[in-house]
Amino acid sequence: MAHPSQLGFQDAASPVMEELLHFHDHTLMIVFLISTLVLYIIVAMVTTKLTNKFILDSQEIEIIWTLLPAMILILIALPSLRILYLMDEINDPHLTIKAMGHQWYWSYEYTDYEDLGFDSYMVPTQDLTPGQFRLLETDHRMVIPVDSPIRVLVSADDVLHSWAVPSLGIKMDAVPGRLNQTAFITSRPGVFYGQCSEICGANHSFMPIVVEAVPLEHFENWSSLMLEDA
Amino acid sequence: MRKSSAVTKIAVQADSPKLNYKEKDRGCTAMAGEEAAGQNKGFKLLGILDVQRTPCAREAILHGAGGSVAAGMLYFLATSRVRRSFDVGFAGFMLTTLGSWFYCRINNAKLRVQQRVIQEGMRNKVIYEGTVLDPTNKPNADAPPGPP
Repeated sequence: MAHPSQLGFQDAASPVMEELLHFHDHTLMIVFLISTLVLYIIVAMVTTKLTNKFILDSQEIEIIWTLLPAMILILIALPSLRILYLMDEINDPHLTIKAMGHQWYWSYEYTDYEDLGFDSYMVPTQDLTPGQFRLLETDHRMVIPVDSPIRVLVSADDVLHSWAVPSLGIKMDAVPGRLNQTAFITSRPGVFYGQCSEICGANHSFMPIVVEAVPLEHFENWSSLMLEDA
Repeated sequence: MRKSSAVTKIAVQADSPKLNYKEKDRGCTAMAGEEAAGQNKGFKLLGILDVQRTPCAREAILHGAGGSVAAGMLYFLATSRVRRSFDVGFAGFMLTTLGSWFYCRINNAKLRVQQRVIQEGMRNKVIYEGTVLDPTNKPNADAPPGPP
């Protein structure tokens, strides 16, 4: 999850998010250099004593300020398109989970092998135990096996919602009557938090998402327990 | 709460041993108090570039600063033109920063690729060790042939 007053991205928990972080650093350095250049030019313009009232054109500088931005845009666009297509790859998922948005909770269904489903409500602030995160914890987490490709089918029961987990680099709109598909692999075990990202009513801010990535054996134990209790 | 004959809401025991795993390995998360103690605010150039946390940023900026000073000083010593020396110094900063940045990033990218190959190899070694698919198994001429 984000730490207080955090402005940047959360640590990546999936390969796609790692790529997004690297692309962001690359683009930010370009933006920083352009900003520095503009700042320097402004200071130079303001402090110079030279004036030229009769300048009409200059082929050299016009070539430079046409070609240079074009090269910069290509330098940004190529990695961007690469990641765009990388995010659309679906590599034979091991598990398919349906995430349904409701007002105001998420429900998850694991129906590949058995019928397993549960609702995930936010833990109210007054019910939190010490160490839990306010407005982020849920009573039931979406547990997945680590290092396994997971497909998530996102939809909604009533109004628009959006299933988002920043550290996995995922955001997918939940549209009533439509199935949206996304896929991810968690590269490390852990607990990853997200929040509904489409305005959906009074409690839009109070329907978080918690994804827990555990080793396969733990996942099998968890799912067996869930099915036994059914 | 949604209910159906096929899908049933299930209550999970909070102290179930299989769920204790999440308490030990939180990945990127931590208890609220631990985060505040360990975090220090990064230094952001122009308010946007966090040179402490962005890989290669610190080295690129330092190399750029050094290149800028060197280029500007050399030009000034050669021509004694102050204003133009600043311009040359700035150009040196841009070129040195860019060069250092991309050199470091390319090396990091190569390291990441090697890391992934090694991780994949380690994972495959665990899976395939002792089987016919183990790439480290040398074929034994005296061994009987495998099943057809």
